[in-house]
Amino acid sequence: MSSSTGNPFAGVGGGGGVHQWCSTTSVSSSSKRIQKEMAELNAEPPSDCFAGPKGDNLYNWVSTIIGPQGSPYEGGIFFLDITFPLAYPFKPPKVIFRTRIYHCNVDSSGEVNLDILKDSWSPALTISKVLIAIKTIFTNPDPYNPLVSSIARLYLTDRAKHDEIASEFTMRFAR
Amino acid sequence: MASQETKSPKNPSREANGILSPGFRSAAAMAGWLLLASLVVEDTPIRESRHKKRPNHHNLKSPASTNSNRKRRSKRRQADDLMPAVVLCLDDEEEDAKKDVGVKKNGAGKVVVDDGDREKKMKGEENFGENASSSDNNNNKGLPCMDRLREELSCAICLEICFEPSTTPCGHSFCQKCLKCAAAKCGKRCPKCRQLISNGRSCTVNTVLWNTIQLLFPSEIEARKSTLSAGPRTPDSRNIIYETGRYRLRIIDARNTQRSTSFGTATQVSHSTERERSSSRRRASPGQSQDAALALRLQREEFLGTSIDAIEQPRSSLHSARANLRAMASRAYHIRSRGRY
Repeated sequence: MSSSTGNPFAGVGGGGGVHQWCSTTSVSSSSKRIQKEMAELNAEPPSDCFAGPKGDNLYNWVSTIIGPQGSPYEGGIFFLDITFPLAYPFKPPKVIFRTRIYHCNVDSSGEVNLDILKDSWSPALTISKVLIAIKTIFTNPDPYNPLVSSIARLYLTDRAKHDEIASEFTMRFAR
Repeated sequence: MASQETKSPKNPSREANGILSPGFRSAAAMAGWLLLASLVVEDTPIRESRHKKRPNHHNLKSPASTNSNRKRRSKRRQADDLMPAVVLCLDDEEEDAKKDVGVKKNGAGKVVVDDGDREKKMKGEENFGENASSSDNNNNKGLPCMDRLREELSCAICLEICFEPSTTPCGHSFCQKCLKCAAAKCGKRCPKCRQLISNGRSCTVNTVLWNTIQLLFPSEIEARKSTLSAGPRTPDSRNIIYETGRYRLRIIDARNTQRSTSFGTATQVSHSTERERSSSRRRASPGQSQDAALALRLQREEFLGTSIDAIEQPRSSLHSARANLRAMASRAYHIRSRGRY
């Protein structure tokens, strides 16, 4: 699916012979890099993850992450929207949960509190690494940098109760 | 050429191997060893058991070994125990003689028998031949290694082969341009390990790495160089062509969409639609859609380039002169760009 949606873009550039004119704007370099990442993701996707452009706009992606086994999110399928800024490799992509999730680092609007998506972003990071990082906060939430403090408190005080609610949320919203 | 030359010396042995099917060779070897065993039995009955065991073992272990290998092994054995050495040696010759009679001259094997130097040479040549063939294979396969190299030598920021790589104090290499960009926009830290890098502006090209990359991926580097050299030259000419293209498209649109209406209104209408379209395109995705639109315009322009001049004639002379100038500019640009391809 992702390849079919991505190719028209590349086809336009190559077919018209416009490819030869190198525009020095960051737009073309970011789209090039996003295309490269897309090819890489198609070639060897990280386990339990999928990501690809939503439509024919290369800068808006949709991604799915399957809840990792052994976590209260097991069995859930979580949809994420990824938006690349124009200055992409130098600015972090925006990742937003479209599926509701009971997690101390994800608020009700889907905002993710992940350091590498904010201050510690590095241009050497790729979307597949970001997805892996998101997968790790499924299994290891970070209650000390919470976005929803009540969930973090519950996680620290009554882990069993937290897991129960989280799996209930997963059953209800992520299936 | 080179590979053929290297292959030719080992042809005789190959031929010999071809004539002697592995099954036959093992059978022949078995026969030879049996003969040897029987001789040994006649000479020294005490050693019988030992020698019977060994040939069997040998045959089981390497039934398809080459002639020279077997001979070398037997010679080694000969050095080990002196007494049966004579017998063995004789036997080998006898065996070879038999083979010669039976199998239409397997020349290589025969010559090798006693002449140690020749044997060594043959062995060396064979090895060389094998090496050559294996290196051929490597060149043909080549790809897995090249893929890894490509991965290793690509810039983590643009994910392409490093162009003018610059190495940070912490040992990570990126395109110089990418590293400068990263230092300017993301702070002076190594994108890979977050160590402080002194200053993005003072980074220099790692010449060894750069030369290596140029040698390994000449085509990629050439492509990138050409785009880079074309980059700074294009903007002005591109603007011209963009303008003429747009101007002509207006006329073309007028002709195509509103043939029946009068010329003046048609231009106005198409003008506005064109503007709308281009602006919407720009909004959708700036760089590439513009390029695509430009390509489309250029194509149309090429098709209708001559006929439009004819249409323009009724207009004022000044206008036509201007159009001619633009056409000339675009043509000049075309010639140049074609030359580049």
